[in-house]
Amino acid sequence: MTAGAAVLQWLGRTIAIVLLVMAGSTVLVRFAPGYLSDAREMDARYADAAHAELSQEAARSRSLPHMLSAEISGWARGDAGISREYGVPVSALILPRLAVTGGLLLRSILLAWTLALSASLLTTAGRNPSPFWQTPATLLLAIPTAAMATLCLLANSGGPVLVMALLLAARDFKFLHRALRTAWLDPHVLQARAQGLRARQVLRAHVLPAIAPQLAALASLSIMTALSAIVPVEVIFDVPGLGQLAWNAALNRDLPVLLAVTMIMALAVVIGGMTPDRPPEWKSV
Amino acid sequence: MKLRPSAAWLLAVTILAAAIVLARPGASYSHQDRAEPLAAASTLHPAGTDALGRDRLTRVAAALLLSLVGATAAAAVTTLAAAGVGTLAAFAPASIGWPAMLLCDVFLALPWMFLLLMVRSALPLTTSPANSAAITFLVLAALGWPACARAVYRGALSLKRSAWMLHAHAAGLRGRQIVRYVLPNLIPLLLPQFLICVPTFVIAEANLGALGLGIGEPLPSWGGMLLELDNSAMLLQTRWVYFPVALLIAVLLLLEAVAVEA
Amino acid sequence: MRNSIRLCAFALAILAAAPAKTCLAQAAPRMPGELAWTIGYDPKTFDPAIVDDQESEQVRYLTAGVLLRFNRLTQKVEPELAETWSVSANGRTLTFRLRLGLQFSDGSSLTARDAAWSIRRVLLPSTHAPVAEEFVSPGEVTVETPDARTVIVHLPKRVVGIGKVFDEIAIEPAGRPSQGRITSGPFFVSDYHRSLYVRLRRNPHFYARDAAGVELPYASGVRLDVLENPEQEIRLFLRGAYDVIDDLPPDYFELLRRKDPSTVRDLGPSLNTEQMWFNQAPDAPIPAWEKAWFRNRAFRIAVSQAVHRADLARIAYEGHATPAYSFISPANSIWYNRSLSAPHTDVAAAKAELAAAGFHLSGSVLEDAAGHTVKFSILTNAGNAARLKMATLIQQDLAALGMQVTVVTMDFPALVERLMHTQDYEACLLGLENVDPDPNTMMNIWLSSSPNHQWDPSEKEPATAWEAEIDRLMNEQAGALMSSERKQAVDRVQQIVADQQPFIYLVYPNVLVAVSPRLQGVQPAVLEPALTWNVEDLRLREAR
Repeated sequence: MTAGAAVLQWLGRTIAIVLLVMAGSTVLVRFAPGYLSDAREMDARYADAAHAELSQEAARSRSLPHMLSAEISGWARGDAGISREYGVPVSALILPRLAVTGGLLLRSILLAWTLALSASLLTTAGRNPSPFWQTPATLLLAIPTAAMATLCLLANSGGPVLVMALLLAARDFKFLHRALRTAWLDPHVLQARAQGLRARQVLRAHVLPAIAPQLAALASLSIMTALSAIVPVEVIFDVPGLGQLAWNAALNRDLPVLLAVTMIMALAVVIGGMTPDRPPEWKSV
Repeated sequence: MKLRPSAAWLLAVTILAAAIVLARPGASYSHQDRAEPLAAASTLHPAGTDALGRDRLTRVAAALLLSLVGATAAAAVTTLAAAGVGTLAAFAPASIGWPAMLLCDVFLALPWMFLLLMVRSALPLTTSPANSAAITFLVLAALGWPACARAVYRGALSLKRSAWMLHAHAAGLRGRQIVRYVLPNLIPLLLPQFLICVPTFVIAEANLGALGLGIGEPLPSWGGMLLELDNSAMLLQTRWVYFPVALLIAVLLLLEAVAVEA
Repeated sequence: MRNSIRLCAFALAILAAAPAKTCLAQAAPRMPGELAWTIGYDPKTFDPAIVDDQESEQVRYLTAGVLLRFNRLTQKVEPELAETWSVSANGRTLTFRLRLGLQFSDGSSLTARDAAWSIRRVLLPSTHAPVAEEFVSPGEVTVETPDARTVIVHLPKRVVGIGKVFDEIAIEPAGRPSQGRITSGPFFVSDYHRSLYVRLRRNPHFYARDAAGVELPYASGVRLDVLENPEQEIRLFLRGAYDVIDDLPPDYFELLRRKDPSTVRDLGPSLNTEQMWFNQAPDAPIPAWEKAWFRNRAFRIAVSQAVHRADLARIAYEGHATPAYSFISPANSIWYNRSLSAPHTDVAAAKAELAAAGFHLSGSVLEDAAGHTVKFSILTNAGNAARLKMATLIQQDLAALGMQVTVVTMDFPALVERLMHTQDYEACLLGLENVDPDPNTMMNIWLSSSPNHQWDPSEKEPATAWEAEIDRLMNEQAGALMSSERKQAVDRVQQIVADQQPFIYLVYPNVLVAVSPRLQGVQPAVLEPALTWNVEDLRLREAR
């Protein structure tokens, strides 16, 4: 397959995913209970304003094709539609937050990988690594993200990056530890070690290349985990990012904002799945 | 490893102990001792009481049995589903594998919270707490597989291209026979997934409580007890709030030791 | 191996740096003399005329100049931009006399023309101002300005408590609505960063002076940080980043009290109520026999008698609530009915009441006369810990009668859909916020034709004799000239509600607030905004 065809195929796949996600999300949000109701209906002071807005929305959302075409024309206009909750273009809400969340994700994934890789390298080497090395990772997995964030607040130290990174590192460690251990115990690696090859050389020449394909799988898994952890972390630490926005949009059934966020998520998923099978630098040692 | 049988024994003892705590006369996970909310440990309440004056030890024991069984079963189902979809997509012809993985990606990006809301609205409000718990774990199992399926797909793909697979093909092994050798090789990928899913589902169940799903009051939910940890006011009131999380860590470590196959 | 050690050292270096990074994000440094507290979400609008959410209302309170102010402490209407005001004997003509030399925050002068323009603007149907409704028929109201300092408002019909309505009408420069940028109140909006903060600056031309002749407000500005999480808010408050917290949840109140007892105050019962009610809508998609229970007065009385309200207050609110039996709180001293007789906790009486109504126990399970098991759900909103605890306590209280209750929490839109649209629920536990002590503002709950008539929102005509009587009494108090007649009518409504228990009142949550020791001039009030109603008098003590 030529490079051009591969790019075309990738583009086609991405567009298909984004469109399917768009249609699926619209159906899910529109038909979930509470789309045409508002907490303010319960408050006598604000009920009339809420009713007026709701009847407008009811008229707008009567048919699904109509809703979808409205969304797509919003995207074509470049503002991704108008937020139902705030009445401003969605792009104005999303863009400043995109950088915040992107930075947070990038920093925490990098930190998590460094932590997980170094920890698993340390714990898998040796003849019979102690199972107690698993304890810190298990501990981190057993504590809900929200609780971890609260504990950070209580201790007055650590921030969103730390919580995200620890959570991701714990998961990545579980995978890496096992993958590395399997590779470490491979017959040819055992033989190499028996012949006196230094640990560093064994790692570079045999162990890391053996787990490389799983690293790619791990990358997409890390992105998935990070995307699901971002909401509680941002909400508790009050980070003005996409997770916080998505949460509020979900609670307010703000479809245009939700669609924009899910589409960004879909892109992240696609890009996360795109990592190469085998990093080229490990091919020749 | 010698660790494995002893871990299995310890796990069995823990479950038995929980059953005994539950079955002991006078034990009730729902009885509210209203004179003593958030009490410290005493002979009557060995692990103190919760915010409504219910015996913490009994609640933890009941939650251990309920949540552990639910989460473990759901984790097993979701891991198996991921293994199935992942290997199928890797080994089947591209006309099946490609759309399967595309669907997987779409699945990952959809806002499932709204499906859960729909599930809730389809259930009668008087659904008993036990049924609600079962449905919740079923939903979790149904929604948990795509992330792992993608990892399995990649692993299976690299197996498909590996040297020994080539040998196997050359030696004339048929597809069905090959799959038998593929699955054991995926275990390093599946086992951690399973072990991670267990605590994740325990916690996810509690989060679904906000949508009207999950394990309803007065049934104790392990996740619900873990969520008490995110309220710092609660943390300062009694040290016993850490008890469920400590026990969960212990159980997870034991599970892990049991699951070790190397 | 060295590789991994190097990696590890790198990771540790990042980790060490991570705690040093601020986990407690603070939007902007505080300017000298600036006050700061939080709002829960971004205000939807800064246009004072179309405010329809709480946080926008808070910004309006701090920025808008109004003719009359409703004093939250004394609960009396006081002249603000108006020097004097009067109501004609028939209650249909209001005359305001403006203060001399009033100016907007940009220095331009404020005349009767501006006041009349602002009033007319909120009355226009195209403005969609929620306050317009208070005038009953806003289209027929006329405003005139005989001279530069006099505004006369003619109403088609007398309106009870009309003075308070002007507390919500901001006087803006005629023809130049400015989204709060040019105001006649103590502050004006100077800076807004979505999802971070709203910064208000002091209006240098505000009319008010203190006793010593010093220009008010004292503070140079107010910063309102958008912050949802109470954990963060409390931590920042303890560090001195915020000066006040209103509306503290009871558990966090206790937390703060433990850390610094001098900062917290329990102001006693609020005007708000927490209540439970049964769905009595005839079209509700629930079984007919359940509707029959819920419409049975004896059933509702028995439930009310079985609930241990003192336990709810003590356990669910850690003692920071007061058992409730009426929709008017004892904090509302004028309207509270002191001689009310309501069903109090009495499980034996509840059992007798049920038995008399044909219910019987089969084993430990209650059944109605036709043999249907008494089993229903209580719905409440997710995220309110106190409500979930109350529902669980009530679950056990009702189990003592043999009723099987499931507790279901839902997010607000899904809950509201069931309550207001599909009516597919059995019982619900929610609260009602009252910002105004006058029962006239509760018309839309008690009138049977109102959509906020929660137990049967779809009814057009009163379905029962007692609902008809409530309708009559509520209309009577709205038109009564004498306040004693109004009081009598409202007392009677309270008694009917206590006798019929359409709402089973549970507790009045207490007003729980925290005030920084550095802040001077605070006079906590039960009415919102509890701590900042006299914002012009607030100031920070000079740094040591």
